[in-house]
Amino acid sequence: MDYSYFQISEQALEVVFPEQIDVQENKLIQLVARKLIEEKAVGVIGVIPAYHTLTVNFDYDLTSYHDLIDEIDTLIETSDSEQSTEKTIVELPVCYDREFGPDLDDVANFASISVDELIKLHSSTDYFIYMMGFLPGFAYMGSVPENIAMPRLEVPRKKIAPGSVGIAGAQTGMYPVESPGGWRLIGRTPVKLYDVTDPVLKYKSGDYIRFKPITKDEYFAIQAQDEAGEYQLNVIKEGGESND
Amino acid sequence: MIDFVKILNPGLSTTIQDRGRTGHQIEGFPESGAMDRFSFRLANMLVNNPLSTAGLEFVLAGPTMKFSCDTFIAITGGKLKATLNNKPIEQNRAVQVSAGSILNVGQMTEGNYGYIAFANGGVTTRPVLDSCSTTLRTGMGGIDGTALQHGDNVPIIESVVMPSLNARKISLQPEQIQDVHFVEGPHWNMFSEAAHKQFSNQEYEISEQMDRMGYRLSGEPLETPEKSLLSEGTVFGNIQITRDGSPIVLMADRQTTGGYPVIGTVIAADLVDLIQTRPGVKFRFVKVGLDEAMDKLVAKRKILNDTFIKFYENRYDEPIGPIRRKSVRIEKLIKQSK
Repeated sequence: MDYSYFQISEQALEVVFPEQIDVQENKLIQLVARKLIEEKAVGVIGVIPAYHTLTVNFDYDLTSYHDLIDEIDTLIETSDSEQSTEKTIVELPVCYDREFGPDLDDVANFASISVDELIKLHSSTDYFIYMMGFLPGFAYMGSVPENIAMPRLEVPRKKIAPGSVGIAGAQTGMYPVESPGGWRLIGRTPVKLYDVTDPVLKYKSGDYIRFKPITKDEYFAIQAQDEAGEYQLNVIKEGGESND
Repeated sequence: MIDFVKILNPGLSTTIQDRGRTGHQIEGFPESGAMDRFSFRLANMLVNNPLSTAGLEFVLAGPTMKFSCDTFIAITGGKLKATLNNKPIEQNRAVQVSAGSILNVGQMTEGNYGYIAFANGGVTTRPVLDSCSTTLRTGMGGIDGTALQHGDNVPIIESVVMPSLNARKISLQPEQIQDVHFVEGPHWNMFSEAAHKQFSNQEYEISEQMDRMGYRLSGEPLETPEKSLLSEGTVFGNIQITRDGSPIVLMADRQTTGGYPVIGTVIAADLVDLIQTRPGVKFRFVKVGLDEAMDKLVAKRKILNDTFIKFYENRYDEPIGPIRRKSVRIEKLIKQSK
């Protein structure tokens, strides 16, 4: 695996992989990031996995840049060979309705397909979460089928409702909280994606999101269940350790 | 009984802060935590707390509060004239406070951020994702995720003894910045030689657009790289160059990832001084190597270490050592029964 290190500050470094949006490369970054945190690598106080980089904050009282890169080298070596084929898919119900997705027709026209075909296309791909950020619970995901990859709005909307699902070029994603934004909105999930009183997120980088089309009736039913704390997202584990 | 300080006047924007949620950046949550980490640590050290203990951070105009219990406090950071029961108290020293007292922190005459530490474990609000720090943008931490409001009760724990109380002070020379040292950022090589020169030669000042997320600087715009970047993780002190060629220094509440090129990172020792600098003060960026950055950080930390050693050496001095804990209680009971 081709990578290099860069020391960003006295107590932070970055592992830099080839600059690309690539699921395999990002999976390795996620794996190493989680090992650093979960196995409590000495002196590591925080990590930020991104598309092709892994930023590591460390405490210079406990470790040094050189000790840490030795440790990361070993982690990358072992992780690269043990990458599993297991997929964690978080199934997210989405109501693709014009009320929730004001840009449905525009995106369908852009792709020269019907709205039904658009819904089918968008919901039949599993989207990989490359990283989290921007807003609490915001997942950077890709990639949508090429023909529906419509660029963002020229003039962003001032206010987008929480749960809105949109497309911005090859990216797709959900707005977890109310926010301004320029994504083409095609639907909305009734599930609360970010709750200040219980901020533990329902998905993490390295997982996949699968959108499941629901009707408006189902939307309001799930919303009521979710508000009562009785709704559980369906999490699917696919594959497993490879046999070769 | 739960003890607390009651907020009579919250000041401009007073928040509960500790060292932040560094470990939850992986989930996309901003790090947050105290802006001026030197003053924050110092405040805790002065009242014998672990250095990452939660306390109050205030901006420009400090809060007024009433204490429900005895405690010790220390005020650090920007320069101000605080009073306790209308009598002036010194900054950068441990001050004994008795129940019922009113602390008025007042306006800051120099600097931007100030800190109040409370002895015996600081502010004891419930941590959210391992930190009490308030992140206003995400409504997380502190009390209901907001800045303190009039009437809030901020929970603390009573404290009646403080080892080597009289030694718990430090005199600091105010640091007037002229040069802000930085190390090369991950995208330094993407900038032209002309941009490198201009960045180091011209004078910058902090603009009015400054908050806990970042400080935007004003100066002649730099030539920016053509190539657009994939977003990468951000670090406290990163100097991003936005599309219009102006720098933003990323601060405690920054987003965890960013897509603007990072020309450099302000060294930790200078970052705390930059954070306390007001708009209009002119400075230059000076590039240093990581070894020099490290030396400066160690020197800055030494101020704290030396102070700590001084406290330790004076731990048996009068007036109050840990052994006298009971006698203080007894004296108090006698006073109350009279």
